[in-house]
Amino acid sequence: MADLLSISSIRERIFNPTKHEKSVARSSNPFAQTSFKGNVLTADVFVSENKTKNEVQNNGISFTGKLKASALVGSIAGIGDKIKAGIESVAAFANRIKDNVVNCWNKLNNTEITFEPAKQAISRAGERVSDAIHSMFEPGISKNQIAKMEDLSVPRQLLMDNVQAWEASLG
Amino acid sequence: MVDKKIVKNVKNIIDGLAMHQNPESVNVLEDIGTNSKVDEIREMTAKALVQKNIPESLRVVITNKGKGINDMSTGVAMCTINELLSLEDKTEAIRILEDTVENNSDEEVRDNARSIKALMALS
Repeated sequence: MADLLSISSIRERIFNPTKHEKSVARSSNPFAQTSFKGNVLTADVFVSENKTKNEVQNNGISFTGKLKASALVGSIAGIGDKIKAGIESVAAFANRIKDNVVNCWNKLNNTEITFEPAKQAISRAGERVSDAIHSMFEPGISKNQIAKMEDLSVPRQLLMDNVQAWEASLG
Repeated sequence: MVDKKIVKNVKNIIDGLAMHQNPESVNVLEDIGTNSKVDEIREMTAKALVQKNIPESLRVVITNKGKGINDMSTGVAMCTINELLSLEDKTEAIRILEDTVENNSDEEVRDNARSIKALMALS
């Protein structure tokens, strides 16, 4: 049984050599046990501080510095493409909106108002304005004329007629 | 719906009669205006009679039951009271109110006149 377990563990090591590798000594990655869910990177991508210092002191140029620079250049080159793509999408959006507005305007120009209540309301408003203007310039009964009348039978008759007309309109 | 032209005519005739110097104008207003079934016409007439501020016109709106301050319509009564309170010279109105409180046969008319007199004394 013990032999079987050892065989299976050996097989697992062969086919998945990185999973059980707890190579803390070979790696300076402090997140080796947690960040990669057991799949520890075999290459030492994290440069130790002491080593970097030594390299800088010895050669003056570091390898990681080159990587960072190349990554930065690559990202700068990509920014232009992204901005261009963004501007193109905004232009396309604006063109689409413009087309929609123009289409809507053309539709409105070709649409006849057939909504009956709207037509009636417009007609009534027109009649009211017409009446108001008409009554404004129409010579009606003036209070000064009434006040100057010597014969009071005339204003009496006028008042009676208009009061009767008012009462009749109320039904 | 009453024609605006009719309303304007009625208003102008009543205002003209309020300005008229002939005392007979009071009779015209009383006969036609205060007996109308339209509240607005009675209101206009009561205001015109108060504005004339002569004993004959003030008596119509103070001593008669169902007219002026004694009108069945609260709106008409309140409007008449307001016009009385707005008078620049209240002497004649107070004199008629006192006379009404003392001599009128109707208790309700006397009570109304007493209340208006008290209001006019305060204003």
